[in-house]
Amino acid sequence: MSKLILNRRKLLTTAAMTGAALASPAYLRRAHAQGGEVNIWTYNDFVPAAFKEQFEAETGIKINIRLVDDQGKQFSLLAAEAPNPTVDIMTVAGHRFLQFIDSDLLAPLDTDRMSNWGNINPTFSESDWATINGHKWGAPILSGMEVLAYNTDYVTPEEAESWDTLFSEKYKGQTAYVIQDMMSIVMLMKGYDGNMVQYLGDPEKAEAIVKEARDFLIEKKPLVRKYYDGGAEVQQMFVNQDIMLGHSWNGPAAALINDGFPLGMSIPKEGSYGFVYTYNIAKNCPNPDNAYTFLNAILASPEIGAAMTKASGFISTYKGASEYLTDLEKKSTSFPDEQLANLQFFRAEANEMKYGFVDPAVEAIKAA
Amino acid sequence: MTYDASAREDRGAVPAAGGERTFWGRLASWAPYRALVQLATATPRRQFLILAALPVLWVLTQHLGPMLQMLRVSLTDAYPVAVGTEQHFTFDNYLRFFGDRLFWMPFFRTLGFAFVFTLCTLILTYPVAYFLARHVSPKNRMLLLLMLLIPFWVGEIVRTYAIMILLGNTGAVNLVLKWLGLIDRPIPFMYTSFSMGVGIVYLTALYMLLPLYSALEKLPKSLNEAAADLGAGAWTRFRRVTLPLTIEGISSGCTLVFLISTGFYATPVLLGGPSTTVFAETIAGFFHVAGDEWPTGAAFAVIMFLAALILTTLFQKLMTSLRKGDAK
Repeated sequence: MSKLILNRRKLLTTAAMTGAALASPAYLRRAHAQGGEVNIWTYNDFVPAAFKEQFEAETGIKINIRLVDDQGKQFSLLAAEAPNPTVDIMTVAGHRFLQFIDSDLLAPLDTDRMSNWGNINPTFSESDWATINGHKWGAPILSGMEVLAYNTDYVTPEEAESWDTLFSEKYKGQTAYVIQDMMSIVMLMKGYDGNMVQYLGDPEKAEAIVKEARDFLIEKKPLVRKYYDGGAEVQQMFVNQDIMLGHSWNGPAAALINDGFPLGMSIPKEGSYGFVYTYNIAKNCPNPDNAYTFLNAILASPEIGAAMTKASGFISTYKGASEYLTDLEKKSTSFPDEQLANLQFFRAEANEMKYGFVDPAVEAIKAA
Repeated sequence: MTYDASAREDRGAVPAAGGERTFWGRLASWAPYRALVQLATATPRRQFLILAALPVLWVLTQHLGPMLQMLRVSLTDAYPVAVGTEQHFTFDNYLRFFGDRLFWMPFFRTLGFAFVFTLCTLILTYPVAYFLARHVSPKNRMLLLLMLLIPFWVGEIVRTYAIMILLGNTGAVNLVLKWLGLIDRPIPFMYTSFSMGVGIVYLTALYMLLPLYSALEKLPKSLNEAAADLGAGAWTRFRRVTLPLTIEGISSGCTLVFLISTGFYATPVLLGGPSTTVFAETIAGFFHVAGDEWPTGAAFAVIMFLAALILTTLFQKLMTSLRKGDAK
């Protein structure tokens, strides 16, 4: 999306980043002249262009990127290729690990093969969700959250303090959201645990809560302009002024803010969910050595983490990455403490039960 | 028909200019090759089988293969199979559709949309095809046809985005209406059945236009002239002569557009709104949003395929009976 609204400032920033990277010390020399290729499925802008260029030049390993825009699609692609996938590294959100692990699609990560593992903030690398069955399954790279994004020319920060504004008559036909994500948020709005971990032993209660959230979204259906799936879609709708506010991931919203679009975002008082994107190695991947070389290289310095944040808008998990961001970039990737206090991370423990109820509910909302 | 394979092989063995034999010449005179060719082309039946082998193989592996695989997946209880579990045969995925009214709405909505959009495409493209075939001189026809084909040189997604640019709140249509002073605030064309319809009609117009053009071009002008001589007015001539004699083109065009419309996914996703969810989106939901419900998605895809097949077969039968009725 950022390509759609590429302006002179962004062009200069990109050029400066490329120049800085080329002038920077070689992080990758230890992996010299390895050759071959590494195949990566990831989101747009998750592998910084300058890093890619430098990595390829110093290691001789060609990076082949296939863009993905959805965790489920990534799962389907990998499942279709298993047990001999063409991919080496994928980008799985931490709370989706279990689905991939249960289907035997991921290889456990050998962190001893990555001397730069320690460059990740332990808040992310050592979180409870990061270790499953005694193994690490991914290298955390970027952190995101579900936010309420709004056009600051039309919506006030006070209005954006509550998810209720998203469902108000005032903004009828000017809102958009991802239904599946909103289901968890609506559960929070209603005072329930959107992760559904609390109801693991009480599926009847979980089902009733999902039904309540479903009925709420069906009731509010006449107010919404669009159900969307990808970050680029919501950016497009904001730029075209098709919507004035909407649920969004902070990354696409921050990218618009950095491009100068009058957009604000908040973590409303009812609460919201955060998630962490990780790089993972596919089981039986064709180039495991190159995959580890890539992972170790991309974790090499906070500048790379900052470059990922600049390009994607998501928050870097690297120690010290924020020191390399401009004031505007820092602003677009940070939230007031009182808002951050409303944030909790998605958890995977109850996913099977939760999505067993949520997925049909999503279809019901679409069909209604 | 007589056939002399050996004579043809002998011609191939003639040395190239300069006296040196080409690769093909050497191959043609190689005894095992000649024997093989002789054996393979000895009868017209064998020649047919050899010619048909590649296309048949293509159809079997590239067309029928994926459909059969989808059918197989639709009859299982899990795909991909999780570690430590086994796959079982089941009809539950089909029963899920018939047992849950929830899925009927997008299903019938899709068929309804496909019917309406097919009709709109027919009404919009018939005059264009008529004008091209009957009023444009033959030397300019190709040029005009080429101009109509230009948008189809780019992909479906690009053309869908073009519609978004046209119909968005800050799009060309709203800008023009605002400039003319007809509106104060932009009309929300996007994310409605209207924007979806515009997109689908635009994307399928060619599939309607070409069969119609072909049918109209074949129609002798003398028939209309004769009808006029007998006192028939313009509307009567169209209704009693042109329309019945182009019913084959209408039938082909409608079938193509209807079938394509039932399967559209990207255009409804990008141009449609909350109340325009089509069955293809429901099917896709089982493949990627849910991530692990491929068998249900596959069963729903088979149901849609069969429904479209039955409806088009009935439509074709109706058209055939209309043609026969006119012939009598």
